Amino acid sequence: MEYRDKRVVITGGTRGLGKTMALSFAREGARVAVTYSSDDRSAAETEMELRSLTEECLLIKADVSIRSDVDAMIREILHHWAYVDVLINNAGIIRDKLLVFLNEDDWDRVLDVNLKGTYLCSRSVVRLMIGRKFGRIINVTSPSALTGRPYQTNYSASKGGIISFTKSLARELARFGVTVNAVCPGVIATPMTEHLDDKTRDEFLRMIPMGRFGDPGDVAEAVLFLASERARYITGQVLVVDGGLT
Amino acid sequence: MKEVVKNSEALYDFLKKMIVETLKLEDISPDDIDIDTPLFREGLGLDSLDALELVVAIEKHFNVIIEDENVGKKAFESIRALANFIKEEYPQGV
Repeated sequence: MEYRDKRVVITGGTRGLGKTMALSFAREGARVAVTYSSDDRSAAETEMELRSLTEECLLIKADVSIRSDVDAMIREILHHWAYVDVLINNAGIIRDKLLVFLNEDDWDRVLDVNLKGTYLCSRSVVRLMIGRKFGRIINVTSPSALTGRPYQTNYSASKGGIISFTKSLARELARFGVTVNAVCPGVIATPMTEHLDDKTRDEFLRMIPMGRFGDPGDVAEAVLFLASERARYITGQVLVVDGGLT
Repeated sequence: MKEVVKNSEALYDFLKKMIVETLKLEDISPDDIDIDTPLFREGLGLDSLDALELVVAIEKHFNVIIEDENVGKKAFESIRALANFIKEEYPQGV
C-alpha cells in the first residue's frame, strides 16, 4: 500500500469528486481528513464509509474561505496527526449566470470559496511541509479555466487563478521537496453535473472525444498519482483528465 | 533552549550554526559570520527563499512564528538583530 500512513487532507471531501478521492486514499491505507461546509447528511454518510476502510479518518466542518475556520481545521488535524503529507484543495462552488446578471455576491462567493480557500488552506500547511522537506499540494481546476465557458466568468476566473497560483507556489516550494500541481477534471458524473438538462448533456457528449462523462474514479487515479512518490519530479503542472475535451 | 536564548553569545553561535546547516552553505563556516553582517544581498548573499527556510527553522527551534514579511525583514537584518528578535518573542520568556 503506497499511501500507508500518509496523512491526506481533502477539502470538500464528503461529496462528489472529493468523496471518491477520500475513499480511494483510505482504501490505499492513508489517513484521511475530509472537510465540508454545510451538508451534514452526506458528511455523516461519507464518514461511515471512510470508517469502514480506516480508523484514521477525521471529519471537519469548515468554510475554507474563512481564515478562523481554516485555522481551527488545521489545529484539529495536527492535534491528531502532528503533520500533513498531502493537501487536496477540492472545495468548490458554482453560481453560473451571464455576466450581466452576475451580482457582486455571486462573484465574491465563488472567488472566496474556490480561490481564497485554496490560498488559505495551502498557507496553513506550507510551513509544516517545508520543515519536513516533503509535501504534496494538489489543486482542483476546470476546463472552464482553459477554454472559457459562458455563464462562468466568476467560476472560470477562480479556476484560472488556481492554475496561476499552482505554478507560482510550485516555484516557491520546489527546493523544499514540496510539489504543487493541479488536476483538471472535465465533465464528470457528480452532483455538480446532475442538474444538466438533456440538451446540455448531449452537447457535452458530442464535444468529448471519448463519448462519455468521466467517472469520479478517473480523476481520483490522477490525484493519487500526483500524491505519490512516482510523481516526485512533477511540479507546477496541470494534469487534464477530460476524455479529450480540451 | 531557554538557556541558549538567555545567553547572547550562545544564541549567536546557535544561530550561525543553524543558518549554515539549514541552508547547507558550503563556502561559509559559522565562525566566518560576523554578528553584524547583513544576512541578505551584499552580506551573506541569502535570497528570499532562504529566508523562508529560516522562518521555518526558527519556528521549529524556538517556537517563534514570523507571520509578517516586514517583521521578518527586520529580524533577518543580521545575527544580532535575529537574536534580539528571538529574545523578545521567545514564548517562555527569558
